[in-house]
Amino acid sequence: MAYNWNWEIFLQPSATGEGTYLSWLLEGLKWTVTLSLSAWVIALIIGSIIGVLRTVPNRWLGLLAATYVEVFRNIPLLVQLFIWYFVLPELLPRGMGDAFKQMNPLAQQFVSALVCLGFFTAARVAEQVRSGINSLPRGQKNAGLAMGFTLPQVYRHVLLPMAYRIIVPPLTSEFLNIFKNSAVATTIGLIELSRQAQQLVDFTAQPYEAFIAVTLLYLLINVALMFLMRQVEQKVRVPGFIGGK
Amino acid sequence: MTMHEYDWTSIPGAIPLLAKGMLVTLEVTLTAIAVGVVWGTLLAVARLGRNRVLSWLATVYVNLFRSVPLVMVILWFYLIVPQALKAIFGESIGDIRLTSALVAFALFEAAYYSEIIRAGIQSVAKGQMAAGLALGLTPGQTMRMIILPQAFRNMLPLLLTQAIILFQDTSLVYVIGLSDFFGTSYKVGDRDGRLVELLLFAGAVYFVICFSVSRVVKHLQARFSS
Amino acid sequence: MIDIRNVSKWYGQFQVLAECTTSVREGEVVVVCGPSGSGKSTLIKCVNGLEPFQQGDIIVKGTSIGDPKTNLSRLRAHVGMVFQNFELFPHMRITENLTIGQIKVLNRSKDEALEKGLGLLDRVGLKAQANKFPGELSGGQQQRVAIARALAMDPICMLFDEPTSALDPEMINEVLDVMVELAKEGMTMMCVTHEMGFARKVANRVIFMDQGKIVEDAKKEDFFGTPRSERAQQFLSKILQH
Repeated sequence: MAYNWNWEIFLQPSATGEGTYLSWLLEGLKWTVTLSLSAWVIALIIGSIIGVLRTVPNRWLGLLAATYVEVFRNIPLLVQLFIWYFVLPELLPRGMGDAFKQMNPLAQQFVSALVCLGFFTAARVAEQVRSGINSLPRGQKNAGLAMGFTLPQVYRHVLLPMAYRIIVPPLTSEFLNIFKNSAVATTIGLIELSRQAQQLVDFTAQPYEAFIAVTLLYLLINVALMFLMRQVEQKVRVPGFIGGK
Repeated sequence: MTMHEYDWTSIPGAIPLLAKGMLVTLEVTLTAIAVGVVWGTLLAVARLGRNRVLSWLATVYVNLFRSVPLVMVILWFYLIVPQALKAIFGESIGDIRLTSALVAFALFEAAYYSEIIRAGIQSVAKGQMAAGLALGLTPGQTMRMIILPQAFRNMLPLLLTQAIILFQDTSLVYVIGLSDFFGTSYKVGDRDGRLVELLLFAGAVYFVICFSVSRVVKHLQARFSS
Repeated sequence: MIDIRNVSKWYGQFQVLAECTTSVREGEVVVVCGPSGSGKSTLIKCVNGLEPFQQGDIIVKGTSIGDPKTNLSRLRAHVGMVFQNFELFPHMRITENLTIGQIKVLNRSKDEALEKGLGLLDRVGLKAQANKFPGELSGGQQQRVAIARALAMDPICMLFDEPTSALDPEMINEVLDVMVELAKEGMTMMCVTHEMGFARKVANRVIFMDQGKIVEDAKKEDFFGTPRSERAQQFLSKILQH
């Protein structure tokens, strides 16, 4: 296998004249991180609401939330992405649909990917929040109610603070997953990291260097996030509770 | 607000094509499950075993595959497999896209299965290994005849859930131009200008299949826990 | 103050409470005892509406629990409850456990609530633990804080659901001492407990429940002297072995 290794390819100016190949990689990294972090915020907010709804006494709200989770968990992420990107603009009122299609293509791709990843991950966050709340002793809810708290107050002051602390480890997993899942956006052309890997393969004759570099960047993201979440876990630890001693 | 005018007439005629796509999806899914479970079990046993080198290698393998997006893994093997096949056999075998995808998914899923199986093995009480050894069985026999069967029974719901995820993930073969059920749906929709209908149809099909299987899993979980 | 009228409750087909009728007057201390599954915990949880019931009604200082229009939160703000598993909020320091109800439900100021909370904490002998987290305290200490937490709301009556059942034997007395003090000060109390020594000391009346029914409801002296029902006699003889 005669392959010419050339690690300096990254420092060379690109064939299209826009920056070096390294700058392409960094651009991809930027979009991956931006997309993932933004989608995570959406996922946390929507997922928390849905997760809480699955634990309240109202049957209809619970059913609504359960339906959300089942729909977003049983359709592949890629299919969901294509539906947000290709189908939704067609189903919106003409004014909104046209406005979307006239946006800068990069913006269209980003928004579709953002909404898709956010809603998809929200379903998984919802399940974590639900299981966190359900794992709390029933007496906690009773103690809150017995004090005169309304149910929303019980959630806010008693249940959710503990539930979130309990689910930090599985939430960390979901947080990592969102960064990996962001690679799906390559299929609609968003210039995130894996797309840049493919671009580099197309423009240079150095596919191995490109893929190795991108893989290392993904591993780096992983390591950084694990470190970050470990800090979070330490900080919110409750003394005397689940290994808090 | 103008409603999109739905025209589902493309679909019936395309069923044969879509069915072929579904066969590809199933081929990738089932191969990955079969190889993934076997290879995943070996990885799990290696990680829990006493040989430090094997344990370390297995850990690196699992952590590596779990840290990288599936899209990258698919792209990697689409790069490596053709060259490897050429080096070994002097030519590529069959549909190179399909072969690359099969290899990629099998090796990728094994990492995920190994974590489930590892947890399953650890969930079987430690006393079981001691009991097996006390009877005169070797560690290997104990693992095979006593621990693994129990581990698998405990882990069956999780293994099935992972299979559902895998079934959905096969849609990503799109990135190397392999036409599975999703890829075929897209092609038909694009060809006939009925992308909206075909994408919604694909979504509905996936939903029905995955939701049904997940119901079966829930039923199994309920039965096993009693 | 607490008027329980013909209360019946079912879990599906299974009847947990059968036509329970009794009352607790202001300043009275009533002990509820009985074997496991007799419904005593369920009954006391019905008094502040934590458990719903299908028949009958409970009136607490003029407010009907069974009435769907009753604002239960408002009522519970004035009825104190102490749980078997203490149920302090683990993510809050002791001070916050004591003040959060006062601030969020009674709308007291932070300073007012803190002053009240620390005062009560001192009364139960735990002022030094004010800044700790519940997980750092022993069971007996946690339960005393739980009592202080309930008292901080200035309740009109206190409900105790097996307050010492989850405690190691050496910690039971420190909690019972607090409860005895409380009784002596004239607090209206309804206690589900096995601690007959406590009952003998401060109870005015003792109620014995079995299989969801109130089988005996007598003044303390009568109950311990000559209980009328055979079930109660059996129960007493078993429990007084301690």
